[in-house]
Amino acid sequence: MTGANVLEMRFPQELADRMIAHCLDGRPDEACGLIATEDGAVVHIYPMFNASASPVRYALDPQEQLAVYQDLDERGWDLGGVFHSHTRTEAYPSPTDVREAREEVPYVIVSLATEPAVIRAFRIVKESWSAETGEVEEMPVEVLG
Amino acid sequence: MASDGSVKVKIPTVFRRFTGNEAEIDLAPGTIGQLIDQLDERYPGFKGQIMNDEGELHRFVNVYVNDEDARYLEKLETQANEGDRVALLPSVAGG
Repeated sequence: MTGANVLEMRFPQELADRMIAHCLDGRPDEACGLIATEDGAVVHIYPMFNASASPVRYALDPQEQLAVYQDLDERGWDLGGVFHSHTRTEAYPSPTDVREAREEVPYVIVSLATEPAVIRAFRIVKESWSAETGEVEEMPVEVLG
Repeated sequence: MASDGSVKVKIPTVFRRFTGNEAEIDLAPGTIGQLIDQLDERYPGFKGQIMNDEGELHRFVNVYVNDEDARYLEKLETQANEGDRVALLPSVAGG
């Protein structure tokens, strides 16, 4: 099963907290990382380096991305999502997010514009993976307390 | 690890729809360009997904050979030998 089949993102509280903590640590820049799932359930968060080092952009460092993909394989986990923060705007994909979306997994956005932080998840559906435009479809997020 | 004479190519999630959901594919050693040709022979249309009309890799595909970025090696001419691991990675970015 790949992340593409997941209809809802369910985060154990501890992993949601870890993701938000990484986003808070990254301020004023955006923060990013990857989400591991197993049978559709979120099982791990990989806090990662923002190679763009910017308050309005993020990019994974490909070398670190490769190491995480290898770790996913070794543990038998799926790539379940990509997360990043919006430090001053709502948790909704920006035009840049839509244009740059390449993986077919949910894109999770953590907004730090309000207290507490808001987590939302989206699919960015494109005609082909390299297309510049796409449709944004929100999917439910549940934090399991 | 014993080698079976092949190069192992890791296929990321986004490209598995073109490989019948195969995540790892064994190919004969060759340059990255030749490996892509082999993939295209096995999975017609694959090449068109990761290369542009100028015959270059899309800028949002990274290719690693044994953890080294092929962009900093010899790009499509980079040789992958028996036992080497090649990984295709889509860029992950946004704003």
